[in-house]
Amino acid sequence: MRLENYAEALEKCSHCGFCQATCPVYLEDLLETHLTRSRINLIRSALIDKSLPVTRRVKEIINRCLLCTNCTHTCPGGLPCDEIIAAARAELGGKSGSAGAVKKFILRRVLNKRGLAGIMSRVGSTIQKLNIVKAEVPTLAAKPFDSIYSGTISPKGKIRSRVAYFVGCASNYIYPDTGEAVVKVLVHNGVEVIIPQGQVCCGLPAMAEGDLETARNSVSVNMKILAGMQVDAIVTDCTSCGMMLKVKAAKVLPGDDPLQNQVKAVSEKIWEAADYLNTLGLQDQPGPLNERYTYHVPCHRAWAPTIVDSPRHLLSAVSGSELVEMENPGKCCGAGGSFFMENRQLSERIRSHKLEDIAATGAGTVITQCPSCRFYLGVKLKDRKVMHPLFFLAKSYGLV
Amino acid sequence: MNALAKDLNTLISSNRVRTDPEDLFAYSNDATFYFKKSMPDAVVLPESSEEVAHILKYAFHREIPVTPRGAGSGLSGGCTPVHGGIVIDMKRMRRVLELDRSNMTSEVEAGVVLSNFHRTVEKMGLFYPPDPQSMSVCTIGGNVATRAGGPRGVKYGTTERYVLGLEAVLSDGSIIKCGSKSVKNSAGYDITHLMTGSEGTLGVITKATLRLLSLPAARKTMVVICETTDQAAAIISEIIARGMVPAVLEFLQRGAVGLMNYYISPPLVADAEAYLLLQVDGTAAQVEAESAGIKDFCLQMKVRDVRIIEDEREAGSYWEARSALHPLIMRVFKRIITEDVSVPRNLLPEMVGSLTELSAALGINIGFSGHAGDGNVHPSILFAEVSPEMEEKAKAAVDLIIKKAIDLGGTISGEHGIGIHKSEYLPWQLGDVQIDLMKRIKNSFDPKNIMNPGKIWPEGDELRQ
Ligand SMILES: Cc1cc2nc3c(=O)[nH]c(=O)nc-3n(C[C@H](O)[C@H](O)[C@H](O)COP(=O)(O)OP(=O)(O)OC[C@H]3O[C@@H](n4cnc5c(N)ncnc54)[C@H](O)[C@@H]3O)c2cc1C
Ligand code: SF4
Ligand code: SF4
Repeated sequence: MRLENYAEALEKCSHCGFCQATCPVYLEDLLETHLTRSRINLIRSALIDKSLPVTRRVKEIINRCLLCTNCTHTCPGGLPCDEIIAAARAELGGKSGSAGAVKKFILRRVLNKRGLAGIMSRVGSTIQKLNIVKAEVPTLAAKPFDSIYSGTISPKGKIRSRVAYFVGCASNYIYPDTGEAVVKVLVHNGVEVIIPQGQVCCGLPAMAEGDLETARNSVSVNMKILAGMQVDAIVTDCTSCGMMLKVKAAKVLPGDDPLQNQVKAVSEKIWEAADYLNTLGLQDQPGPLNERYTYHVPCHRAWAPTIVDSPRHLLSAVSGSELVEMENPGKCCGAGGSFFMENRQLSERIRSHKLEDIAATGAGTVITQCPSCRFYLGVKLKDRKVMHPLFFLAKSYGLV
Repeated sequence: MNALAKDLNTLISSNRVRTDPEDLFAYSNDATFYFKKSMPDAVVLPESSEEVAHILKYAFHREIPVTPRGAGSGLSGGCTPVHGGIVIDMKRMRRVLELDRSNMTSEVEAGVVLSNFHRTVEKMGLFYPPDPQSMSVCTIGGNVATRAGGPRGVKYGTTERYVLGLEAVLSDGSIIKCGSKSVKNSAGYDITHLMTGSEGTLGVITKATLRLLSLPAARKTMVVICETTDQAAAIISEIIARGMVPAVLEFLQRGAVGLMNYYISPPLVADAEAYLLLQVDGTAAQVEAESAGIKDFCLQMKVRDVRIIEDEREAGSYWEARSALHPLIMRVFKRIITEDVSVPRNLLPEMVGSLTELSAALGINIGFSGHAGDGNVHPSILFAEVSPEMEEKAKAAVDLIIKKAIDLGGTISGEHGIGIHKSEYLPWQLGDVQIDLMKRIKNSFDPKNIMNPGKIWPEGDELRQ
């Protein structure tokens, strides 16, 4: 993910401006400067040709981006726009700002080490003391997932397949109940679940900060653990972790890194958990649930072709429940990992459209695979439930 | 803060006035970035006609150039501020003001994005046909200012056919309303259609009253796989001559289909020399009859295959692919210069023949996929490498293409407008007397020559980098 490696890709931009249709930041700001096309141009001129000086405004433009990948999905020229922007952040020595030190601390010392519940509560209070944002900081679960579950959990009957469960930071620290649902639903359907020991943050938050060193450390720890496992698949319930492990991990490492073979082996086995189960097929008919739900499609969805539709198929097996599609289900919710903490107003504006679309469906439950979306939407959806598709399934099986 | 910014801040809220170099840099070109870049001195983002009027009054007084801008998707350098000054970004004026079902009209602000407008009217069973392939982003104001067309032009014509009335701000800041909602209008000169296609040189279009049709009840997408380019061109001429009127009749070369397969799902066999992509629309019975008629005729002409795409998702993937074709080309080539000549439709085979000869003679790659049913060929010079030699050849090719189109009784621009890109060729088509007449018209609208100066005809060195 060195910017110089993208110099050629960057020239594939025809300036068609099609990114205007989906860049959530542009659609709020309605300023050409905050559009992908202009970010790319600016990166070329300021960081590659060096024909423009690197000013505070240049940094602001490069940082005012959710790394949501919508431009990359839209771009007919096939530019990896989000990677170019992430590489530019790294080139600039990482994002900085008031939250920088805390973030670095969290990324390096906490998310890259598991089983340190004590430190986590200290982080929580540090965040609150620094007043990064007043209300919208996730509260940490009383017990992280990895203190409840470990080892191998086997189904009662015949084993249909064996998977390793990559537990993302969100499911570990914030939503252990999602992690629990994933394990129970998979096991209930004849899947043996192994929870690998020693796994750490996937590295995406560090990559987004432009902190490639930390991202590489995460990747190398995880890859060493995951590559050697004798499993049919590696599942994650987080679409962002999935994207990191499947496509970005290989890019944060140098092309000739000895670890690349392991990265490739892991990449071939990565699945989003609902997608995996949908492809495998349910073994047991779920029970009825009287629930109208709508489905928000997370931005980090393009790393496997079946991710988007899998919750629709999977949950259609739950009798009594009904999917009410919202307008443009794939429109960004504004969270962008932790982007919303630093760009509060902008994110709130992006989210407000999503909330209107959700409200218009009248559904009582919102399904989405991404924990960042779940948290950020959930803050404002006190009267509705927001959950991962497998949590919904766990409810219909009566497992949670 | 500079003096210009200070002044503008008194006219419009300061967060909608931009003068940072990075912002000016972002506004220095449209989709013809390789052709000419030029930074403005300020960018303003008005939210009402009154704000536009305040800005123009000020600019008129100070004699500051003003360039209106929509989505910056233009292919002629139209919104490139070649003489600096103020760029007016119209995208915040994006309200659909009225949808009048009983009159089948709609009034919109200039910054409304075309595909949003399509969605809005289609929800009500109405239809706004113009479909420039940049429709996911381009603005109605930009469409009106360039008389934009698109694939549906073959049956439905281009934007100008749907413009009933306009609100515009003239260079001195006065606001005019021309045309009206009524379908007939004989009141004086037709200022509405003079502003239409004026590329920002006569004033800023702030609102448009548009004519709507009923949404056709049925549509069908068809692909004709042809043996040769000549055969495809002959079929196009014959379809028109026989009075068959498909809604869309696009010509595609092998290379284009190869690229479009990034979107087309399942992919189309990409080994034939030429293809036609059609859509027929109307009542269900009409669509059945017309698609069957075209299919029979094409089979008689001994094409390789005719496919009627019944699956809606699959058909949608063809149109998404078609829309992305121009930027898709950059996956393979390093630069594209897209020309926009249009010729009488019976002469299409001759135009296509001369393009083939030309590309062989110069040893360069000229693609010509695109609208064809309306005679608008879009020859594209495709650069495998960017070099001075290639640039020279491209220039020679463009000169010859334009000459040929004029010789055939066609036009140098079917829908993109002149901008700076084609300004040197306009006299070839129109001659000095007409250009002079146009200049006098411009002068009476814009006596201080502040409205998008340097466009349509060159005035100085704006063509130079
Ligand atoms: C991939 C691609 C495909 C395209 N396909 C087509 C096609 O099929 N058919 C077609 O006709 N064009 C096509 N175009 C060209 C372009 O999209 C059209 O010319 C479109 O109408 C431009 O709209 P815009 O909002 O981007 O205008 P801009 O590019 O911003 O401006 C275009 C011109 O209009 C003027 N202008 C803009 N808004 C106003 C206003 N409110 N008042 C006065 N003047 C104004 C500008 O000064 C400039 O001269 C395509 C472009 C791309 C990149
Ligand atoms: S969509 Fe891609 S090619 Fe088009 S302007 Fe945006 S980044 Fe460039
Ligand atoms: S990653 Fe998202 S926010 Fe960033 S430029 Fe692309 S679309 Fe815009």
